[in-house]
Amino acid sequence: MSDATAHTVEHGEHEVGHAPAPPDRRNLLQRPGWVRAVMYGAISFGLATAFVTGLRSLGDLDPIWELDVLLTAWTVVVPLGFLTGLGVFSYWIYWVTGKPTLPDDHSGHGADSWKDYFKVNTDHKVIGVQYLITVFFFFVVGGLMAMFIRAELAEPGTQLIDPNAFNGFTSVHATLMIFLFVVPVFAGLGNYVIPIMIGATDMAFPRLNALSFWMLPIGGLIILSSFLLPGGAFSAGWTNYAPLATQQPDSNLMFQMGVQWAGASSIATALNFLVTIITMRAPGMTFWRMPLLCWANFTTSLLVVLATPFIAGSQFLLMFDRVLHTNFFEVAGGGYVVGYQHIFWFYSHPAVYIMLLPGFGIISEVLSVFARKPIFGYRLMALSLVAILFLGFSVWAHHMFVAGMAPWLRIPMMITTLLIAVPTGIKVFSWLATLWEGKIHFKTPMLWAVGFISMFVIGGLSGIFLGSVPIDQHASDTYFVVAHIHYVLYGGSVFTIFAGVYYWFPKMTGRMYNETLGKAHFWLTFIAFNVTFFAQHWVGLQGMPRRVADYDPVFADWNMVSSIGSFVLGASTLIFLYNMLVSWRSGEPAPSNPWRALTIEWQISSPPSKFNFDEIPQVVGGPYEYGVPGARHVVLNGSRTVETEKPEPATVGAEH
Amino acid sequence: MRKTLYIQLLLLSVVIGAITFVISLVVISWLPKVASEEGERIDAIYLFTSIICIVIFAIVAAVTIYAMFKFRAKPGELEDGKPIHGHTGIEIMWTLIPTILVTAIGIWSAIVVVQNDDLPDDHRIVAVQAQQFAWSFTYNDERDGLGGMQVGELVVRVNEPLELHMTSPDVIHAFWVPEWRQKQDVVPGITTFYRITPTEEGVFPIICTELCGLGHSVMRNQVRVLNDEAFEAWATEIRSAVDGGGETLGKSVFQNQGCAACHALADAGATGAIGPDLDSVLTGQSAEAIRQSIVDPNAVISEGFAEGVMPPYGAVPEDQLEALVDYLATAVGDGS
Amino acid sequence: MTSVAPTESDHGHAHGHGDHPPEQYYSSKVEPPILGIYLFLASEAMLFGSFFAAYFFARVAVPHEFWPPINPKTGHQFELPVFLALINTIILVTSSVTVHWAVTSLKRNYRAGLIAGLTLTSLLGLTFLLIQIREYMRIGFSPRDEAFGSTFYGLTGLHGAHVFMGLTFLSFALWRSMKGHYSPKHHVGLELPAIYWHFVDVMWIVVYVMVYVV
Ligand code: HEA
Ligand code: HEA
Ligand code: HEC
Ligand code: CUA
Ligand SMILES: [Cu+2]
Repeated sequence: MSDATAHTVEHGEHEVGHAPAPPDRRNLLQRPGWVRAVMYGAISFGLATAFVTGLRSLGDLDPIWELDVLLTAWTVVVPLGFLTGLGVFSYWIYWVTGKPTLPDDHSGHGADSWKDYFKVNTDHKVIGVQYLITVFFFFVVGGLMAMFIRAELAEPGTQLIDPNAFNGFTSVHATLMIFLFVVPVFAGLGNYVIPIMIGATDMAFPRLNALSFWMLPIGGLIILSSFLLPGGAFSAGWTNYAPLATQQPDSNLMFQMGVQWAGASSIATALNFLVTIITMRAPGMTFWRMPLLCWANFTTSLLVVLATPFIAGSQFLLMFDRVLHTNFFEVAGGGYVVGYQHIFWFYSHPAVYIMLLPGFGIISEVLSVFARKPIFGYRLMALSLVAILFLGFSVWAHHMFVAGMAPWLRIPMMITTLLIAVPTGIKVFSWLATLWEGKIHFKTPMLWAVGFISMFVIGGLSGIFLGSVPIDQHASDTYFVVAHIHYVLYGGSVFTIFAGVYYWFPKMTGRMYNETLGKAHFWLTFIAFNVTFFAQHWVGLQGMPRRVADYDPVFADWNMVSSIGSFVLGASTLIFLYNMLVSWRSGEPAPSNPWRALTIEWQISSPPSKFNFDEIPQVVGGPYEYGVPGARHVVLNGSRTVETEKPEPATVGAEH
Repeated sequence: MRKTLYIQLLLLSVVIGAITFVISLVVISWLPKVASEEGERIDAIYLFTSIICIVIFAIVAAVTIYAMFKFRAKPGELEDGKPIHGHTGIEIMWTLIPTILVTAIGIWSAIVVVQNDDLPDDHRIVAVQAQQFAWSFTYNDERDGLGGMQVGELVVRVNEPLELHMTSPDVIHAFWVPEWRQKQDVVPGITTFYRITPTEEGVFPIICTELCGLGHSVMRNQVRVLNDEAFEAWATEIRSAVDGGGETLGKSVFQNQGCAACHALADAGATGAIGPDLDSVLTGQSAEAIRQSIVDPNAVISEGFAEGVMPPYGAVPEDQLEALVDYLATAVGDGS
Repeated sequence: MTSVAPTESDHGHAHGHGDHPPEQYYSSKVEPPILGIYLFLASEAMLFGSFFAAYFFARVAVPHEFWPPINPKTGHQFELPVFLALINTIILVTSSVTVHWAVTSLKRNYRAGLIAGLTLTSLLGLTFLLIQIREYMRIGFSPRDEAFGSTFYGLTGLHGAHVFMGLTFLSFALWRSMKGHYSPKHHVGLELPAIYWHFVDVMWIVVYVMVYVV
């Protein structure tokens, strides 16, 4: 937890000057890295197995090889061993035990070759890229599962996959898309740009940051590994409602444990963002001068820190019900089934804003730069984020209008749900006003941003239908909800992600992406997306329930349309992947500020130098002063105009 | 200049609004036919919400499209836009108007919820049991002499208020009749209520909408809404089938328990394909084996089928079960 | 009317060297680790919140004649050792005082107090845990006995796990104190476990009141 401290400590020594650390002479098995990680992982596997079977035979429990107990132990212990071997914890182990910590030679910073991306690295920019690559991997995997879903649904009846595989694919599809793609992708983008945007050299806790990243692929692999277990992947939906979840084969544990790792990762990152934004803003960077992306990540991080423990709790309790045979949600033992849903949605509703607020931030950045205008109503834009944060905690039961919860809860929850339209509307209208009388440049990021507005509004408005209890009584758990999900998550979140990736691509890679391919990607996706999902509103209202492997033949035509749309949507993603890969290797070199933007990250080279700045910048104005003659946001390198009082650096001295 | 801008914009919104309006409310009928009083109220609030949403969408789309064409920078233009930072009046307006609109939706919805929850006292009560993956219905009051009668298909009178008391022995299911608009989860451990006043005669599907396992997509049944005459005729038939015993009973139990949803059986006109085709697999099986397959289906799993799909039917009354087994054994078994 | 976007020439000599990070500027007087631990504890409090939610659902949403409910195995109401738990509460509150004493001692550069305070705290914490384990063994029901048993073990167990973590951190701090680490000015490494310990203590009081008393 004391990375920052440590950082300054070592820095102190640094001033005195020291040679780079001598090369690590330990052999491969002792040196932190993949070899040691695999070895430690294997040892942990053995230990966990021995421990469980040993205890069970001591306690005369039968059978000694109980798969669900073993799986629980493995999914906790093996990743810990693996991470220790990789060296994620080395520093902390030295620190808490009071051993001399290794002076940091900053070899953990920057990446010189692609191999460095496979090592534990504490540089926020490297971690950002690691995040992005990992999550797009899971996006493709989750998307391929959607292709199977759509292929099966193209015609009524069972053709390609049986109901068990189908339910497995929908559940894993959604789980990957949510926990391994949309939630962490913003951690990745934020990691790269937020420290630079606020004028910091790194995140507040670089080592915690590395840990956050490495926990993520672990969660993803645990979730994917459920396909290997007897009975096939977990198939109770991404909501994993009790008691169906407890009734499922052991692979359901992989959802429960995988989500714990992904959740821990997102809590750790959120905490890091919060501390960074609070304590490490450059001189002059007041809260009211922060770019809206920083505001968005700030509010999102608060949501993550406060809400994520609830999904951790819900999955812990579910795991206890399965592994220890407790009765939290078991009717026979006096448990309360609907209680699971309350706990789950107390996280998972805020989670939908966790998946969108950072996107709102990206859209604000992109719109104002490419419309060459200040953001309309900057303060209200920031405050509406805060309003969504508070309201977001008071609406969870709108997922349970027909679930058999206490009936009196429905109306208050409906009112709060509907009221969320107000702060969200403020954002939408302010974006439109930002376009108004601008000088709009339709570069690829801008296309995504403008496309986002209309697609998200459709999704939000279908949310209003669902938010009204009587309409939800008809529309709940139908394809209308599936359409809502994808309009807000694909047309909303994923569009903002594409906007952000294209926008910062030159900064991250130092190369320009191919504009023609970018535009082709946008238009193809925009059309295919609507073809895929729009008719689902109708199909749902007409009577097609969600999560079905087979359906009434009257819906065959529109399902076929939807399936064809989805294949084109998949193909359009190929254009994106191709563009990114090829441009990264051989795109045109990017200037430091191709978009003529004012925020700090564009004032330094592309890609940024190892420590972002030679000297901490001085912020002198708002971030979006386009069109204001002579306005500046930031002054770099030595030209500080305002001498701000400098609080004492957090902590200095080797004693702690 | 400003004024023409706004007039053009207004025209564009009206055009988009009109197009969306025609497409979404006139050309396409979004909701299936409505067949209950509660559904009519829901349709009204649906229409109200649609109109608000169409107006909002039209404005958003109009501004976007307009801006895309009107404010596009010329190639190579480096000029910035107008440095407008905000406008308090407009900001207050677009905070207040949506607040009013959503509050209106909220109030109306709340009224509908209260009205729909409120059923006249003289309603019929039917107990519904949902289990993986079949529905069964028990008439709970003595009306029409149906007290305690368990059937596999819901049959009700048109215009008679109806309250379903729903329970589940295993996992969560949900009861939905699209034409009735209402939906309610069926939750183990508690009884949930479904209140409806059917206004249209006809046969409507009952659909389970809560993921409940492998057979979720086939967990369907139907409700028949009959006029008084037809309903009484049906009630008489049901009573006599149960009292009469023998072969007719077995067949009607087969039909009433929803076996046809999963199995094909020529004699009963069943064509389900989830489970084995009973015409072919039952040939030569003993009554005892058939009985076990019904009461404890997971004891022996037929080849090519998954465990846990067929629900155990242990709760079927003994005489009915006997008749069912007899029926299956004679209708197809023993090579007869 | 073009706003000024600094170009590369604005910071002519940038990027080339960059082996040294510039000195980080701190915009807040709060030390990052301290802010971090408070946010972490907010998250922890919510984790307890989810377990409490399960507890209240089992207690309130499911109809009961009595609370604690009847144990179907014995036919009697479940019984909780309220008095023993009260003693445990006193022990834990005392340990909060001793850890506070340790920190203030260090601030006054009174190292003996630091070490004594930490030793006492660890011992008290250990006693708490042992009493808790003893209670588990004699309590006469298991986590499998009704939702009552599950939520009881769930909450006290979650808390026990936190006591265990707190003890581990405290013993590291003790170990480092004995090696002469920490100074009156620099003691983040001591403060973190101390704050954590106070949290564990406060959480216990909530658990005690909710589970044993009301
Ligand atoms: C990014 C994700 C995201 C976002 C942002 C939202 C936003 C909203 N969602 Fe959605 N929702 C999901 C993701 C999301 N949702 C998912 C994944 C599910 C399914 C979970 C599952 O069961 O698997 C779901 C399900 C879901 C349900 C439950 C459906 C059911 O299962 O029965 C409901 C019900 O109230 C709902 C409502 C809303 C509302 C009111 C909003 C609002 O926040 C929308 C607000 C926005 C607007 C309204 C548009 C812009 C506003 C204006 C232009 C102003 C003017 C507007 C008016 C006056 C109306 N959502
Ligand atoms: C961020 C979230 C997200 C995203 C991006 C998507 C993306 C997609 N989703 Fe998904 N979806 C959910 C979140 C998401 N979904 C959720 C939460 C549910 C609810 C689950 C539940 O009920 O529990 C759901 C459920 C869901 C269903 C309903 C299942 C059911 O109820 O039975 C369907 C069906 O059409 C579907 C389809 C798709 C499609 C076609 C895409 C496409 O957009 C995917 C496009 C991407 C790719 C295809 C990958 C990359 C492309 C390639 C590698 C190219 C090669 C491939 C080909 C050309 C074939 N999704
Ligand atoms: C949800 C689907 C479903 C329903 C409803 C259902 N079954 Fe089945 N049934 C199956 C499946 C699947 C199998 C094969 C697996 C097995 O043997 O359990 C099966 C197997 C059987 C068998 C054994 C066939 C053999 O190969 O020996 C009999 C007999 C049978 N069902 C009768 C019935 C009767 C009678 C009813 C109604 C009272 C009924 N089933 C309702 C799905 C269903
Ligand atoms: Cu029962 Cu789905
Ligand atoms: Cu929600």
